[in-house]
Amino acid sequence: MEDTIPTMVLFIAFSMLLAAMALSFVRLLRGPSVNDRIAAMDLIASVVMGFVLVYSVLINQSIYFDIPVILSLISFFGTVAVSTYLKQRNE
Amino acid sequence: MNKIIVSILILAGAFFILVAAIGLVRFKDLYSRLHAGTKAPSFGILLIVVGVSLFFNTPVVYLKGLFIIVFIYLTAPLAAHAIVKSFKGKNKK
Repeated sequence: MEDTIPTMVLFIAFSMLLAAMALSFVRLLRGPSVNDRIAAMDLIASVVMGFVLVYSVLINQSIYFDIPVILSLISFFGTVAVSTYLKQRNE
Repeated sequence: MNKIIVSILILAGAFFILVAAIGLVRFKDLYSRLHAGTKAPSFGILLIVVGVSLFFNTPVVYLKGLFIIVFIYLTAPLAAHAIVKSFKGKNKK
């Protein structure tokens, strides 16, 4: 809190996360099966968690730390719900 | 000194998430894609959470960071397992 992180480091981290989001969006668009799309969606949720954490460092507000807790919960429930639906439809 | 450690942790976490995305695009099979795409982001999120917790340095933030890490490491293997189980059921038919 007393010494701030240089903004260049945070922008490099932002650009890495943005590249990761673009690549996983490519896999989300052209995945051969639905399971690949679910995996890409799971990765996109992780990337968004990283975005929120780095952004909380950038604007120096620790209240943003609540968001990744809820986001991990929602992404887990979404992944398990969609794959359970696929499994039950195939049987 | 604290500044350098936090910067290194955040950059390493972002790098691991980027490597996971590259693996998700480049691999051929669903199993190898899941191998790249579900384990590396957990480690990247772990590094970013530790770095941000060290940056804010209050007890509440440490507790929330512990929640995030425990929850991600409990649920990421379960999610990958569910995806693979639905894929195997479709192939067997």
